[in-house]
Amino acid sequence: MRTSREQDKIVCQMGRREKDLFLELLSLYPRTPPAPRALSKNSVLPDAEASQRMLDEALAEQRVQNRQLLQQLMLDLARFQVRPTGMKLVLSEADTEWLLQVLNDIRVGSWVILGSPEDPHALDELTEETVPSVWAMEMSGYFQMHLLKALTGD
Amino acid sequence: MAETVTPDLLPAAVPVQEQQDKPESDLEPGFLVICWNDPVNFMDYVTHVFQMVFGWPRKKAEFHMLQVHEQGKSVLARESLEKAEHYVHQLQKYHLHATMERDE
Repeated sequence: MRTSREQDKIVCQMGRREKDLFLELLSLYPRTPPAPRALSKNSVLPDAEASQRMLDEALAEQRVQNRQLLQQLMLDLARFQVRPTGMKLVLSEADTEWLLQVLNDIRVGSWVILGSPEDPHALDELTEETVPSVWAMEMSGYFQMHLLKALTGD
Repeated sequence: MAETVTPDLLPAAVPVQEQQDKPESDLEPGFLVICWNDPVNFMDYVTHVFQMVFGWPRKKAEFHMLQVHEQGKSVLARESLEKAEHYVHQLQKYHLHATMERDE
């Protein structure tokens, strides 16, 4: 993927094969299991139950909203320009920020599916079962780094 | 589209009446926002998230990211219950392992 800045937009260009991989990757969203994530590790918080419920609801709502936003992105011909040779994505900074979150959901979710290994690069062996998650984890990382680079200008 | 997900730096103002209803301890900055290390989030990503959520300059965000990486956790903020909750929500939306703990 090649990224560049055009005024206030971030432009991502991909070849045909890369575009296919990108779309396949996005089709995996949401990837993190909907299991609740704890608000606190060691403390008893005031109204803990209600606070935890609020967090769970906020995260669930985010998943629904992100799924809708992904569909909208793919239908938006101004931002999502598919060509015979590949694809051009024209994103605002806010779009890019949001896409980073989506890709990180796929990365973290794939890692969780792999059993949350302490060293994700040292899995004992690749099997038919683990390959899709290893692929999704690595590919989402690849796209994330490109988007981060475009955002921060590093 | 994504304009709606631009992170807020601070939670919306709480109405005065609602604040008065809360125990005083909840309004005091007695809650720590902590980010815990995990082996999956990239260091650059974590730095970027800290900048977005807290509005920090890059150097400060990198300092806390390295603390998470090297010491297993970093205390990112000491806030009231409500603000701490807000920050944890934001960090968890980015899939960072963040929690809030009482500052005891």
